[in-house]
Amino acid sequence: MTPDSDAALLAAVAEGRLEALRVLHHRHAPWLRARLARRCGDPDLVQSALQDTFVAVWQDAGRYRPSEGAAGAWLWTIAIRKLVSALRGRPAPVAAEAAVTESAEDLVLRAVEHGDLGTALNRLSPELRAAIRATVLDGLTVKEAARLLGVPEGTVKTRVMRAKAQLRELLT
Amino acid sequence: MNGWHVPDDLRAAYLDGGLPEAAAMSVEVHVASCQGCQAAFPVQEEWLEESWAAIADVVDRPAPRPLTRGLTALGMPEHVAVFLAATPGLTRSWLLGVAGALGFAVAAAHAADRSMLVFLAVAPVLPLLGIAAAYGARVDALYEVASAAPISGGRVLLLRAMAVLVAALLVTGAATPALPAFTAAWLLPSLALTGAALALGPLLAPHRASALLAAGWLAAVPAGREAVFGAPAQAAYAMALIPFVYLGARRWNRL
Repeated sequence: MTPDSDAALLAAVAEGRLEALRVLHHRHAPWLRARLARRCGDPDLVQSALQDTFVAVWQDAGRYRPSEGAAGAWLWTIAIRKLVSALRGRPAPVAAEAAVTESAEDLVLRAVEHGDLGTALNRLSPELRAAIRATVLDGLTVKEAARLLGVPEGTVKTRVMRAKAQLRELLT
Repeated sequence: MNGWHVPDDLRAAYLDGGLPEAAAMSVEVHVASCQGCQAAFPVQEEWLEESWAAIADVVDRPAPRPLTRGLTALGMPEHVAVFLAATPGLTRSWLLGVAGALGFAVAAAHAADRSMLVFLAVAPVLPLLGIAAAYGARVDALYEVASAAPISGGRVLLLRAMAVLVAALLVTGAATPALPAFTAAWLLPSLALTGAALALGPLLAPHRASALLAAGWLAAVPAGREAVFGAPAQAAYAMALIPFVYLGARRWNRL
């Protein structure tokens, strides 16, 4: 464990060293912010979720176990949950998606690049993709995903089921 | 890692939101555990410093005192709790004073043929002592700070008096089982005396009002147990409380 590794810094934060939290913040805030911004179009909410994340890290750094995975992944699980609580029942304003204009050539290239699964995922409707992203990639519970997406829990479950069925169909 | 890193064009597409989902997911999973790719994200120095300053501000705030935390946990607004706990030296001094005087009274009551008259005479005066010590230029090291604070003197007195009363009643109440029956008789006189001290607030400094009332009370006690603690007297104390509560509530709302 080198002294400036994430794990060492988190251990230092757990001992109450503010400087270590500062290094962690400078290292992780930019990508966490970008990743949060993809899930919520309101920059103020993203900013407040990010702030809550590092305040929570200050308080709970002692709970991080390096054996359970990279510090970045651990930070993300905190950040996404802080975003869910910053929403307080409102649905997340949809992140602005730049129009995807892909030529047929690009599409073919991408299919080669990412294989069938990538193509299949990209062909899901945005609602189904968002449900898969929240539950599978971000590891949220159905309840948390429902709050993030602003739909009832039942809807999240149905969407995840439909998305999986559709993926299965597209891949066979 | 395994040698693969997020290419610049892929990151640019990810940041501007145009990246298809599957590719975005793969970027995200990789970035979460790759320090090099994390560092490659563009940084706006100004935003980063501002964002850090906001976090440092929250994190660096002094932790609330245990008393403040306890009071907020009981549902008290935070600013009131902070205010009440702001003079811990003072709080300890009157709490110790009340406890000490009470211990003395209990001991005296047991020594002197269990008449309890000493206990009953002293117990109602204790909150008065607390109130005298709660506010005023003479006793409060923070008096000048409190005077300059955006909270009126009357409200400070009432708040502290209430804190003193609750603490004194708890301490005195805890001592009551140490004595046989008839011991709850101190409660109403105590409340009436406290109410009177507060009602005199606009006319007299708290320590003067308290001294006056305590002297009056101690002078009245020798009139006899029945006259001072009997049912008619208790009813009178209860009646006397009503205007005090009314006055207190009205002043509180005005403050």
